[in-house]
Amino acid sequence: MGGFLPPAERRSGALLALYAILSLFLLLAGERIPTAALRGVGAWVFAPFDRIVLSADRMAAAWRENQDLHQKIAELKLENERLVLAGVENNELRRAQSLPLARRFALRPVEILALSGEVLPTAATVSAGRRQGVEEGDPVLTGEGLLGRIGETYDDMSRVTLITDPNSAVACEIESTGVLGVLKLASTPHARLVLANVPLTDTVHVGQRVLTSGYSRHYPRGLAVGRVVSATPDASRLMLEVEVAPAVELSRLRHAFVIPGTRQAGMP
Amino acid sequence: MRNIGGLFLLMLVALLLRSTALSSLAARGVVLDVLAFSAVVWALRNGETSGATFGFLLGLAADLDAAHWLGRHTLALALIGYGIGRLNQTLMRDRPATHLILIGAATVIHQIWTLSFEIGGLAGWPFLLARVGLAAVATAPLGTVLLWIVQRVSGRPIFGDVAFASDSGK
Repeated sequence: MGGFLPPAERRSGALLALYAILSLFLLLAGERIPTAALRGVGAWVFAPFDRIVLSADRMAAAWRENQDLHQKIAELKLENERLVLAGVENNELRRAQSLPLARRFALRPVEILALSGEVLPTAATVSAGRRQGVEEGDPVLTGEGLLGRIGETYDDMSRVTLITDPNSAVACEIESTGVLGVLKLASTPHARLVLANVPLTDTVHVGQRVLTSGYSRHYPRGLAVGRVVSATPDASRLMLEVEVAPAVELSRLRHAFVIPGTRQAGMP
Repeated sequence: MRNIGGLFLLMLVALLLRSTALSSLAARGVVLDVLAFSAVVWALRNGETSGATFGFLLGLAADLDAAHWLGRHTLALALIGYGIGRLNQTLMRDRPATHLILIGAATVIHQIWTLSFEIGGLAGWPFLLARVGLAAVATAPLGTVLLWIVQRVSGRPIFGDVAFASDSGK
């Protein structure tokens, strides 16, 4: 059979067969191969180039962003004054009720170096790692809301598993009503975030905010996750399928914050 | 040696674009399939053996980056690289029409294969087809224009098409 083809074509055919077999092997057994170290090397190699490409993109947006930030700072200063007063009042009330006081978290700013994943980004490489005190499991967020948690750490970089990762699950509650559910990625009919395990009898309205509940002990309580886009009965007609639009615009990620050391400190 | 350098340079550029500017576009629904485009360009220039190897290595790097389903990109891109490499002796390789068809076809094959891993059930297929169509419509013309610009700027055929070179000289 092989004699029909010239040697060069036989060689390339054999090479293709080898690649196909390797690919099929990786598809079948790839999840069992430890690839974290290889991704670490990849992140280390790509980080300087990512920085160059991103800095060009960011310089163009920096001026406009600066103006927006000035305005936001002024607004936030006013709001902060109001919140400080409300915080004092809240602490006094909690003390009176013998409830534990809410803890403050230190935020470590990081730069988003790269995004990966198809349809929706599922992972991000950020510019802080073990040397900066970032640990696996630390929550990552932006001003808008929760982004995910640190999945892998390297010396000066980390990889964030975003809430859109197929293996991610975030214990959430709906603001003010306290309806609980688990936020996951659903792939049918298209990739989207869905709040699962919500009983049909619970009342959920479009536009309500979804926050972390703190029950999974992976994330502190009260971080914004998204907003309810739709709530319809699922296939079993026993549960609600609540579609959630993420609070963070995943296509516009530039900077984020890590809450370091939350594992040791305990949640929420 | 120069070829190996070129291979890694093209891989680097493709992966960089994919993880920066193009990932932002993709999250907004506009998929520019730089992996399929690179595989087509490399295979047209270097033939099936090198095309398959480039596709496999590029796919492996993309798979490692995505962290799930290792082997997903490798198979599709190696086959694209091999298939287009096999065709490259029989095609008018420096014609924009050839580029348009090959990039479009490669994008469709690559996108259908890779997205089918993300879609669960029949209900997801309309979404998949819309996304594949959009990717092909965006990638093929843009890739063709890019190759045409490179060809015009360099003033010589990119893929060493003799017929094109003699046509251009007339």
